[in-house]
Amino acid sequence: MGDGKKKDAAKNENDNPFSTPEEDNNFNFKWDPLRNIADDPNEVLKRVDERLDGLEKECFNNKKDKNNNLENIFSLHGVTRRDFLKWSSFLTSALMLPYIFRPRVARAANILTRTPFIWLDMADCMGNTEAFIRTAHPTPAEIILNYVSVNYMESIMAPAGYQAEARRIETVKKDKGKYILVVEGAIPTGLNGKFLTIGAKGDSGLKIAKETSKNAGIIIAIGNCASYGGIPAARPNPTSAVGLSSVTNRQVINIPACPANPVNVVGTLVEYILVGKAPQLDSLGRPLWAYSGRLHDNCYRRGHFEAGEYVRHWGDDGAKKQYCLYMMGCKGPFTWNNCTTVEYNQDISFPMRAGHGCIGCSQPAFWDRMTPFEKPNADAKIILPMVEATADEFGMALFGAAGAGIAAHAIYTGVKKKRESKKTSEKKKSDSDKNDDNNDK
Amino acid sequence: MENKEKKYGDIQLVHRMTVIKRIIHWSFFLAVINNIVTGFYIAYPFLIFGKTPAQSDSISKGIINSGETYQAFIMTWMREFHFIGAVIIDVIFIVWLYLAFFSWKEPLYKSFIPFGDKIAEAGRMVKHYFTLKDKPETTRYQDPLNAIIFTIFHLLILLQMVTGFQMYVASFTGTSAVGGWWPWLMHFTTDWTLVVFGGLTGVTLVHLFTMWLIIIFIVYHIYTEVWRSVMWKEGDILIPFGGYKYIRNKTESE
Ligand code: SF4
Ligand code: SF4
Repeated sequence: MGDGKKKDAAKNENDNPFSTPEEDNNFNFKWDPLRNIADDPNEVLKRVDERLDGLEKECFNNKKDKNNNLENIFSLHGVTRRDFLKWSSFLTSALMLPYIFRPRVARAANILTRTPFIWLDMADCMGNTEAFIRTAHPTPAEIILNYVSVNYMESIMAPAGYQAEARRIETVKKDKGKYILVVEGAIPTGLNGKFLTIGAKGDSGLKIAKETSKNAGIIIAIGNCASYGGIPAARPNPTSAVGLSSVTNRQVINIPACPANPVNVVGTLVEYILVGKAPQLDSLGRPLWAYSGRLHDNCYRRGHFEAGEYVRHWGDDGAKKQYCLYMMGCKGPFTWNNCTTVEYNQDISFPMRAGHGCIGCSQPAFWDRMTPFEKPNADAKIILPMVEATADEFGMALFGAAGAGIAAHAIYTGVKKKRESKKTSEKKKSDSDKNDDNNDK
Repeated sequence: MENKEKKYGDIQLVHRMTVIKRIIHWSFFLAVINNIVTGFYIAYPFLIFGKTPAQSDSISKGIINSGETYQAFIMTWMREFHFIGAVIIDVIFIVWLYLAFFSWKEPLYKSFIPFGDKIAEAGRMVKHYFTLKDKPETTRYQDPLNAIIFTIFHLLILLQMVTGFQMYVASFTGTSAVGGWWPWLMHFTTDWTLVVFGGLTGVTLVHLFTMWLIIIFIVYHIYTEVWRSVMWKEGDILIPFGGYKYIRNKTESE
């Protein structure tokens, strides 16, 4: 594995493979999948190869170690070399890279298993961890995540108590600027972070998150909670929970979803290994290669949406015919993610295929903004002071009030006019009477 | 004859709407009605086209058979017409904005910006609505109350445009058939709505709710124009058709 082209020439021994983006200023690599990758592809390949060579030297003891590493890991899980080749091709195309990068992606995956990791759990359900370590038939992405050299991860590490703390602090010091920090879960900031205390010393999650992100090589917020606060931050948010990017001034790569797709995590990490910096991010801090597509635009039920064919009740004919789930509250039109193309559960399915609408779990504040999950968005309540109604109820109430006002005004006008005309005609009558009198005289 | 003239006062013609303004008025009307109907459908598809084996045609249940999926692109058509209506509204809004400031006949801003006694004049009109007395004198120009309310209506339209474009740009991925500037422009001008209204779902709800305000405006507008025609006998309702109304120097109660 990892038998990509070797380029011995033009290799700088002093090149720090974990160099931070600042030092990489002349690295003119356009990663944006929507643009050309670079002006000069050869230059790109050269730089990527140099970086991989350096990292391989650092992470592996010798050539044999390097070549056998992934094989050892995968053979344990019954993944053949062929499966891995297929998977690395898949990841290459998912990352929107040209095929020539396939061997390099494989090498990066190899390196990834030896890169120091810190995995923090904040206020969350550990759903992301569970999703990765408990899969029955893990794909290479999940296997790689299981074998990364985790220096600190509460759910799977052997050390406990003070020992565990020491391990984390040591990694932060020793691998400064190198380790990958993955944070899962929202960070409560209320009471100065006291809503969440972790470990033997009872440090607050806020403090730990700040400390570990300071020295990290790359920071990844995994899952919606770590990215945007998720469920802990849902209204009324008693613990003032926020996403990781709100407590650190370092760049945070958000991999939201509930749980995040392992492919998106591994892909982002592989890209980091390849080029040494974060992939292009969208305005919400999500890697563009994974989150630039709207689910609704890539959904296989979109044809039924356009045809006006909707599931109206669970299990009705439309459901059997896999009609669009818009009326059952699908939030695909409001959600950017790659579930429909990369898929979940060992790349087998995703919500719409399983027959339930998307709940928008990769968007900020989805617990507040995407609810009710099983009703169309038009049925969502607008919450204003004194008002809690759907837009239609509220609008219709105003419309009714306006209609009643208009009717009242019309009646008022009619009555008043009648009275006045009566008055004037009486007046006229008396006037003419007077005139008659005058005439008489 | 003399008697009649005495009763109704001297009648004078006044030109209120040029041909251009009348065309704008009615295309605006059609486009807004079109967008209300199609918008309702998009928010809440009330018809199912395309029959499944267990469903039979039923207007009351909202099921109309139009054949196979590939024949029934009802949502596509609804969205298409919604977009066409939106384009018409956008163009009209821009023309309105231009005319509001540069119309040689009657720049609206003179009426809606609360200069001098404009607010007081609008207040007098409201008072007249409720007392039926002291009708403000009809002049060659639009009355300030209408000018203010029409301006608010156009601000609602602007809100619909902004929220609508935000929903529209959601399906763009950074570029378009006419180039990257187009989605960029839409993002640049409308992304603030995401922050203010709480994400795309919030923007959608604001779009839906503003529609109700526009419907209320339409009802109010028709009512007041009919009311004026009945009460003032100055032919206000004729303005959008012929462009003219009358000025009478006498009111009925006098
Ligand atoms: S099921 Fe959801 S994502 Fe798919 S077409 Fe319907 S509304 Fe869009
Ligand atoms: S389909 Fe929607 S709710 Fe489901 S995982 Fe994807 S983004 Fe989350």
